[in-house]
Amino acid sequence: MNKIKIGASLAAGAVLAAGLTACGGNSESGTSGSAAKADAANTAVVNPSDKKGGNLSFAMSSDWDSPDPGDTYYAFSWNFARYYSRALMTFNDAPGTDGLEVVPDLAESAGTPSDGGKTWTYKIRKGVKYDDGTEVTSKDVKYAVERSNFTSELQLGPKYFQQYLVDNPGGYKGPYKDKSKDGLKSIETPDDHTIVFHLNTPFSEFDYLAAMPQTAPVPRAKDTGVNYKKQMVSSGPYKVDSYVPGKEMKLSRNPNWAAGTDPLRKALPDTISVALNQNQDDIDNRLLSGAVHMDLAGAGLATAAQPKVLGNSAQKQHTDVATGSTLTYMAINTRTAPFDNAACRKAVQFAVDKVSVQTGLGGPVAGGAVASTILPPSVTGHEKFDLYPSAGNAGDQAKAKEQLAACGQPNGFSTTLTARADRPKEMAAAQAIQQGLAKVGIKVEIKSYPSGDYFTKYAGSPAFMKSNKVGLAMMKWGADWPSGFGFLQQVVDGRAIKPAGNTNLSETDIKAVNAMFDAATKETDTDERNAIYTQVDKAVMESADIVPLTYANQLLYRPANVTNVFVAAGWSGMYSYLNMGVK
Amino acid sequence: MTAPIEVSKGEVEAHPEDVLQGVSGKAIQGRSLGQIAWLRLKRDKAALGGAVVIVLLIVAAIFGPLFLQDPTVYNQGLIDPTYQRPKGGWLHSGISWDHPLGVEPTTGRDMLSRIVSGARISLLVAFLATLLSVLIGTVMGVLAGYFGGWADTLISRAMDVFLAFPLLLFAIALVGVVPGEVFGIKGNGLRVSVLIFVIGFFNWPYIGRIVRGQTLSLREREFVDASRSLGAGHGYVLFKELLPNLVAPIIVYATLLIPTNILFEAALSFLGVGVNPPTPSWGGMLTLAVPTYQNTPFFMIIPGLAIFITVLAFNLLGDGLRDALDPRAR
Amino acid sequence: MFAFIVRRLFGAVAMLVIVSMVTFGIFFLLPKLAGQTTDQLAASYAGKAPTQEAIADIKERLGLDDPIAVQYGRYVKGIVAGQEFSNGPSVMKCPAPCLGYSFRNSEPVLPTLVDRAPVTLSLAVGAAVIWLVAGVGIGIVSALKRGSVFDRLAMMTALAGVSLPIYFTGLVSLAVFAYGLKLWPDGVAYKPFLDNPVDWAYNLILPWVTLAFLYAALYARLTRAGMLETLNEDFIRTARAKGLPEKTVITKHALRASLTPILTVFGLDLGLLLGGAVLTEKTFGFAGLGALSIDSIASGDLPMVMGVVLLATIFIVLASLIVDILYAVVDPRVRLN
Repeated sequence: MNKIKIGASLAAGAVLAAGLTACGGNSESGTSGSAAKADAANTAVVNPSDKKGGNLSFAMSSDWDSPDPGDTYYAFSWNFARYYSRALMTFNDAPGTDGLEVVPDLAESAGTPSDGGKTWTYKIRKGVKYDDGTEVTSKDVKYAVERSNFTSELQLGPKYFQQYLVDNPGGYKGPYKDKSKDGLKSIETPDDHTIVFHLNTPFSEFDYLAAMPQTAPVPRAKDTGVNYKKQMVSSGPYKVDSYVPGKEMKLSRNPNWAAGTDPLRKALPDTISVALNQNQDDIDNRLLSGAVHMDLAGAGLATAAQPKVLGNSAQKQHTDVATGSTLTYMAINTRTAPFDNAACRKAVQFAVDKVSVQTGLGGPVAGGAVASTILPPSVTGHEKFDLYPSAGNAGDQAKAKEQLAACGQPNGFSTTLTARADRPKEMAAAQAIQQGLAKVGIKVEIKSYPSGDYFTKYAGSPAFMKSNKVGLAMMKWGADWPSGFGFLQQVVDGRAIKPAGNTNLSETDIKAVNAMFDAATKETDTDERNAIYTQVDKAVMESADIVPLTYANQLLYRPANVTNVFVAAGWSGMYSYLNMGVK
Repeated sequence: MTAPIEVSKGEVEAHPEDVLQGVSGKAIQGRSLGQIAWLRLKRDKAALGGAVVIVLLIVAAIFGPLFLQDPTVYNQGLIDPTYQRPKGGWLHSGISWDHPLGVEPTTGRDMLSRIVSGARISLLVAFLATLLSVLIGTVMGVLAGYFGGWADTLISRAMDVFLAFPLLLFAIALVGVVPGEVFGIKGNGLRVSVLIFVIGFFNWPYIGRIVRGQTLSLREREFVDASRSLGAGHGYVLFKELLPNLVAPIIVYATLLIPTNILFEAALSFLGVGVNPPTPSWGGMLTLAVPTYQNTPFFMIIPGLAIFITVLAFNLLGDGLRDALDPRAR
Repeated sequence: MFAFIVRRLFGAVAMLVIVSMVTFGIFFLLPKLAGQTTDQLAASYAGKAPTQEAIADIKERLGLDDPIAVQYGRYVKGIVAGQEFSNGPSVMKCPAPCLGYSFRNSEPVLPTLVDRAPVTLSLAVGAAVIWLVAGVGIGIVSALKRGSVFDRLAMMTALAGVSLPIYFTGLVSLAVFAYGLKLWPDGVAYKPFLDNPVDWAYNLILPWVTLAFLYAALYARLTRAGMLETLNEDFIRTARAKGLPEKTVITKHALRASLTPILTVFGLDLGLLLGGAVLTEKTFGFAGLGALSIDSIASGDLPMVMGVVLLATIFIVLASLIVDILYAVVDPRVRLN
């Protein structure tokens, strides 16, 4: 799944003492100093340091969708954008569950709700300057939200603001077409340091939206639309000296950034460089030798490097098995026969051999633990239950056959499963599912498509699913923010079904569930909200629309020469880039 | 892609005089061209070796899957869950009595049965695609060479255009956009048909050029002139006079086109546009091996060697056939 | 000579036009045949969570509902006269020759091609030099020492060479030389020539050799066959008969006659090298034109695909044009055709 993955890394069994910078002495790279144990960064900051200077080098096997904070939808990108942009809020830069909290960044404090949660007011800090020396105003924040949510040019990011803000009468066409002074009337800027959002519905989790990089200020005069990514104005501690798509990005200090306005950032390295479109194995090898400091994508080591690291105790101590709040699952399309019958869906739930699938996805370490709920453990509202248990999670063929009989298909049937061709692990998992279902007589044909079009043309297009009679679809999903709402709404709310780019692949549209989401947006009490998310999870599993496969892990590597490293729960279990430095 | 046209420079490997003299110095007898060719081929050990390997491969591809395990069955008990590779065997190959070529990392599928099933796809696609190329190429080449004039110009230009296309890119693009069902064919049947069509259809100019050249030179021969002056129609000349004389070069270049097509199919599978999983194909197996070959090299070497041996066998046979049959070697 | 070149140039341009039309047609028509609507096409340019309005807007901006001829006309016009695109607040100029604008990554096509070209060119030129020198050299020696141990060994290796898939040779050489013998312990990666020429060459050795191996094998076989045939020709016999030293016979007569066909094949191969580069780049993880073409095809980025295909065709057509001209220089009879 290439959606934002956000969540905690309550690392499986990695309980570590606090002072983990115990002198390890001889780290294999020969650099003297402290060495942490494996999984240390899941619970604490490894190599804490305030030492400034040096170049922090990132590498990545692909490119950004766009580094423009208003036009990007990857967790790594949102994490990294904080070097050169400051959103109203951001995730608390701390290890463990503390990192799930949102804290004020450009804003002085968290948003103040009024009007029953329909109006949210933020005060922004005074004295925050762009790299050209001009001061950041609330109008720039308003403009940033307008350009990122209401234009057809900047299409890559999420559109939550468009969904929740009150629209202009007659419809707001975005700042590129509508040059009027007021712009979107539901965002008010009574003065240069106050911004007020008027929502069309109470929305108790609005602070999470304010933490999206789309609220990072962009001055109207400097906006060059889709070209802005190459000429970005910085409100953070670093300015972008160059971004060459497909090649590299170089950052250096923003001379006009004042530490006094920014309690969150240490701004340690003098420069930051990113090499793009590198060979993944090459990146991993250079990480292992310390020649590159971080894999920007944050998705962990590739298959080739895993045995090298896990089988070598000197290397293994530099690894963290981070559990992102991401679920690998298979959606059962409730509108494709015979899956319009719940019993047929339940047959699939029982028939899937989840252990096989887990091995296909990378095994218990690099793959993740077998899942039985939609909400991963680190997302609020998670409660452990298993409605379709089987011995050793290997599938229960007897129960599956019972359900098949109940569905009127005692001899099984044929259906199609879609998966992404360029994701070998997903393909392996799909084949494991195919095997499991074949044992109860369900014949599965796997159809694979390029991941770039998976949601726009294939699995995410209900018309395609219907005309090709696709019953099953592989999926990997992480929350846009780490709450039950942020995780579930886009995948099981019936009103989230879209004609293209759909992520509710099961096309689940259960009235009771939709009503629960409405209730949650109005509920101001966090515990009550979380209880609702648990109910949603149970209701959808009861309906058997989604077959949870694994709570996905990633095997991260931190070279010995990088400081202030920890796994960030808010960024879906990748390292937080905010305060990294080099030794 | 490598084209058989590039090896068209025949060379004199066997000496007709030797053949005519006979090995034991018996009296010289009249022999047909076919007999001479067969005698030459029999003495070419490498070509015979290639032929034997090919026959064995075809037999294995047809009957092997009946005796082997299901190539799609997972044996995850054989896989180390942490490292995702087979538990034992030389170089983490998982070789054992039950799995003589080891098992696949992650899934534990039996490599021997995957290789044998993969041979089915490879050979099927290569043979049928070659057949298609030969059919189109022969018809076009004969038409161009025999009738000349505007027919020749048109067909020759068409061949130039085909040769100017970046073939591999086109093949990938075409295979990628084929709808789910065409003429009632779907699933892997459709995939295989599309592969055959793409490979066969875009390769015909290679055969076409050779046939055209041969036809051009044959057209001017005395025996064609003779039958024409005796009042033979185009049909008679084409089918009774020209085609029999084209059979030899066509067989030679078809044999040399097959290995090219095997490589082409494997390349397409390697790039992810081959048959759908779980049906195994050699190129697809190599793709799966890319992320893991540093840890489990065996998994890459087996399908690579399968491709190599098969292609080599066809090349050896093709070389031998050319030496034996090519009219220029007479 | 001048008329000949003009005629050939004209043919080359005609070829380009035909190829571009066919490419455009295939990529335009096939998705339609596959049942794809222009809505879906627009959606694939519209990011991950496109709204209906955005899809409609993109459809209109790109003119996706226009008939194919209109769309092709717009494309050609862009090449000839340049094009303008809205980037939001202002208009962006794409000067001629404008190959369009990739809406996948919001970049004009041409600069992306220019950016990726050095990788593929480095790969291709280096490999071509190696295979020409090695292949032709080995072929000549083999022909002159026909039947010798060298000849037999060389021809066996060559036969193996033409039977090995590039990606397999590449992976094996990586496994053995890069990771096994630790000559490139971190693997190989493309390093720009201007940054550090030594690094550039060092990192390219394996890909060069891998790519060159296949072609060198082919050329060795070809050269040997050509030489042997030429040595049997009457004019060589005549040359020998009139008492020319063997060295002169070989270099002045035999070589010249047997290498001209190699030139033709070389022209063709050089043009088609992009195909080989696709596989080599994929094997070694290089981000060149080959990788770009695969990515663009996978993501349905029509303007980028068109760009790569056109560029590849230009390579092919140019290569054969140059060969034709060289041929005409070497062999005056050609011009009469």
